[in-house]
Amino acid sequence: MTDTATADGTAVSLEQSAKEAYFTAGQGQLIWARFKKQRAAMVGAGILIWLVLSGMFASFLTPYDPTIAGRNPDYQNGAPQIPKFWDENGFSARPFIYSYKRSRSIETNFRWVSKVDRDARRYVVFFVEGDKYELFGMEFKTHVFGVDKGKIHLFGTDATGKDIFSRTFHSINTSLAVGTIGVLLAFVLALIIGGVSGYYGGWIDSILQMITDAVRTIPAIPLFMAIAAFIPPEISSEGRFFIISIILGFIGWPTLARRVRTHLLTERNQEYVLAAQLCGASPGHIIGRHLLPSFTSYIIVDLIISFPYMVLSETALSFIGLGLKEPVNSLGVMLQNVTKADVLLNYQWNFIPVLFFITLVLAFVFVGDGLRDAADPYADTKK
Amino acid sequence: MTRPLISVKDLTLRFKTDEGLVTAVNNVSFDIAPGEVLGLVGESGSGKSVTAKSLMMLNAENSVYDEGSSITLNVDGKDYDVLSLRRPAEQMIIRGGAISMIFQEPMASFAPAITIGEQMVEQLMIHSSITRSQARDISVEMLTRVGIPEPAERFGQYAFEFSGGMRQRAMIAMALSTKPRLLIADEPTTALDVTIQAQVIDLMKDLVDEFHMSILFITHDLGVIAQTADRVAVMYLGNLVETGTVRQVINTPSHPYTRGLLNSLPKLDDLDAPLTPVPGDIPSPLDRPTGCVFHTRCVESGEIAERCRSEIPGTTIGADDHRVDCHLASAGDQA
Amino acid sequence: MRDILIRANNLSVHFPLRGLGFGERPVVRACEGINIEIEKGSFFGLVGESGSGKTTLGRAMLKAAPISHGEVLYSDGEVNYSLGNIQKHELKDYRKRAQLIFQDPYAALSPRMTVRDIIAEPLEVMGITSSRDETDARVREIAAMCRLNLEHLRRFPHAFSGGQRQRISIARALVSGPKFIVADESVAALDVSIQADVLNLLNKIQQESGITFLFISHDLSVIAHTCDFVAVMYLGQIVESAPTRKLFDETWHPYTRALLSAIPSLDPDVRGNAQKLEGEIPSPINPPPGCRFNTRCPHAQDRCRSEVPEWREMSSGHHVACHFAEDLA
Repeated sequence: MTDTATADGTAVSLEQSAKEAYFTAGQGQLIWARFKKQRAAMVGAGILIWLVLSGMFASFLTPYDPTIAGRNPDYQNGAPQIPKFWDENGFSARPFIYSYKRSRSIETNFRWVSKVDRDARRYVVFFVEGDKYELFGMEFKTHVFGVDKGKIHLFGTDATGKDIFSRTFHSINTSLAVGTIGVLLAFVLALIIGGVSGYYGGWIDSILQMITDAVRTIPAIPLFMAIAAFIPPEISSEGRFFIISIILGFIGWPTLARRVRTHLLTERNQEYVLAAQLCGASPGHIIGRHLLPSFTSYIIVDLIISFPYMVLSETALSFIGLGLKEPVNSLGVMLQNVTKADVLLNYQWNFIPVLFFITLVLAFVFVGDGLRDAADPYADTKK
Repeated sequence: MTRPLISVKDLTLRFKTDEGLVTAVNNVSFDIAPGEVLGLVGESGSGKSVTAKSLMMLNAENSVYDEGSSITLNVDGKDYDVLSLRRPAEQMIIRGGAISMIFQEPMASFAPAITIGEQMVEQLMIHSSITRSQARDISVEMLTRVGIPEPAERFGQYAFEFSGGMRQRAMIAMALSTKPRLLIADEPTTALDVTIQAQVIDLMKDLVDEFHMSILFITHDLGVIAQTADRVAVMYLGNLVETGTVRQVINTPSHPYTRGLLNSLPKLDDLDAPLTPVPGDIPSPLDRPTGCVFHTRCVESGEIAERCRSEIPGTTIGADDHRVDCHLASAGDQA
Repeated sequence: MRDILIRANNLSVHFPLRGLGFGERPVVRACEGINIEIEKGSFFGLVGESGSGKTTLGRAMLKAAPISHGEVLYSDGEVNYSLGNIQKHELKDYRKRAQLIFQDPYAALSPRMTVRDIIAEPLEVMGITSSRDETDARVREIAAMCRLNLEHLRRFPHAFSGGQRQRISIARALVSGPKFIVADESVAALDVSIQADVLNLLNKIQQESGITFLFISHDLSVIAHTCDFVAVMYLGQIVESAPTRKLFDETWHPYTRALLSAIPSLDPDVRGNAQKLEGEIPSPINPPPGCRFNTRCPHAQDRCRSEVPEWREMSSGHHVACHFAEDLA
């Protein structure tokens, strides 16, 4: 009951509508309102969205094809080229980079050494036509930026001359795609198995739990090695990509299933479930209308937090050669090149993608934590 | 005129929450004399538990006490300003020393993985410098005193092995083992069956006589208050609306809220009387009414309703220190 | 000729527990040999402490607890059902006619559904209404009866106080047009003044619609004020039952007497009364032999420890199960 002493009608009605909004807010709205208040989570969400979008539009944002086809044979193991606006030759409104001459000789131990030619400028141009790519089924040629002559490599190149900048963003996309498929598969399996286990209990529960525990104890690396040995080499890289995702999903469901089951075991004894049963509601109706919505928030949190695990698992597997292979590229694939001492000592720019992945994983974690905090206090206010 | 054991003056307590400062207790003043049972009555949201916890400084960290609030404990001739006790060593006197507390849900108050005996001994050894075996003897004696059969055996048992009534007795035993001057009982019988409740109430009354102990008995059950308390204080939404002896408050209530409460109770001696609830719902503490805190639900305000809405009533002191905060009372309109 | 809506004949409800593997599995004898007759249109009170089996009995009458022995017969003039061996389609119909109001207003409402959906759910699940408009109209009608307005219907349960939530529970129970409602400790969790409000609402509903209520409570004063008829339960058995007035004027069973005297009187000058029961309530897994009350009864004799007392009629409508009822009067 609002009892304001002021006769200000607008103040009272504003308060009333705020209250009404709170009373009629559904679960999603309440969680969003709480989520908004957490700085770290909002920053994480922003970064996450940005990364996901850049991954999706990687072909447009980056200048070159990430595979062998887009490599620059003249600039292998090349250092990053940062565009400048000003140098001793004067100011330029358009950013530019230098051209370079590469040579190797006995003096340099037959290593490629590039000498920068500071007088020959190459200007950065925007919305330039470049390598062909496909996006949403349509072919495009325009890239956001490029250079008028030759190629520009913001993060440098690797041993074969592939542009690391382009590869980074494409790899984010790949890893996210693999993660998504894996997480979705794990989620569906967990819902079904955990759901049946938790709702019915009894011997069904015991048997399913035994299966779950058995699956959980399977060690991942040996399993992958065995499966990698079995995948015929003729399978295309896309096919390989799907198989890896599916395998990750199959390994990931036990933890999620256990959570679903625990939640159902507690909730199904709640009185509102009994009330629905007393109306003759079928188990399907009860699960769909009462039980599932009550833990949707927790499941979403679990999903978001399993994402980085999927991404990192895939990275680890590809790194040791059991996961994805060229031309599909992911962080793990890119990291395969950095095992040589040469690279560690001289071509450190190969590690720049690692920073992106750390950011991606942290963004997931912050958003997941923020969501969990926002979703948890959605307990009924006790008197 | 003996000094009161505990004297609460103008206690105002607010909580810092996301929605702002919420007033939980507003200008509450009362005294408890040694050996007296004071009943603190109120419904949910009245602030009675918070008031009780203030006596032991047990409120959460986001609690803010107002400048003018004071709680004074007088033990063995010495005065303690409770609200200024900060360090744990100082607070020992109010936490288990001179003041002990028992709660509504005894299962939740005992650690489940430690035996009852162990917990009692631990409490004794914190508050006095006695040996372990002395502590054990005192504990077993207390268990006997509260009527637990085979106390020596029960001493080594866990909380889940006791029934509800037994647990409550064990909790009373634990609280009394340090011989406190004041026992705060926060809804101790609400979760108990009515026949067990009767036993526990009898026990508490016997102990008051034997130990010359005071009790602050918090409950919403007016029947229990009528049977155990010497004096009664009625709280509504953080304010103390009426205080008096138990006969004054129950037989001749002065405040409309007290009257409303009594009217809404089913009485066994008049089965035909209708149950008249207090109209409306208790306001949210975020929305404290202006003026008299009860005016939104008061059916007796009548002509002076305007005054009730805008002016906070002062305390009218009637015969025999029967206090009430009501404009009707100050206008001479006593029931 | 009394018009009995629902009756239980020698009803027993047993819950088997997980045994240790060898020997007999322990069984919780929640209800044993219950004989009860509830008249149509009455407000029947069932009172007892913890372990008395009152909740189980209420649920058994709704076929929400298993019937181990005996029978429950429902007959409202349109249909006759024997709940012990009811067919699936009959059960579906019975669910429309018999509903339950829960104790805990905070756990009984699905937190993720709007009030409108909560109240409408029985209609939708049982297929009582055929269109959304029809559902909405019925929901509004029932909500108005429970003093819930249109604004309330759009809100979620977290916006309401305990008393309001209980009214939502009541509305949900009423919406299918039942003839029989079991109110299981429906006011126990409420503040005293709200309790009066809800009790008045239940009475009003009963007078206007003629629904038969089985009101379960541990609070004898509440039952005394609202019910026409009372049955007192102890450890799974009914020890005494009578029209309310008669139970208070003439109490036969020692347990009922103890229960009455244990209720704290509002009169401060009436203190220290005679009958305080000693001891704890035994466990329903191993109830005492003979009369289950013998371990705490101040008048227990050898016969009480070996022989189960008969369910006898002392005067019209007043039954008691005690060997020595007349001697103790």
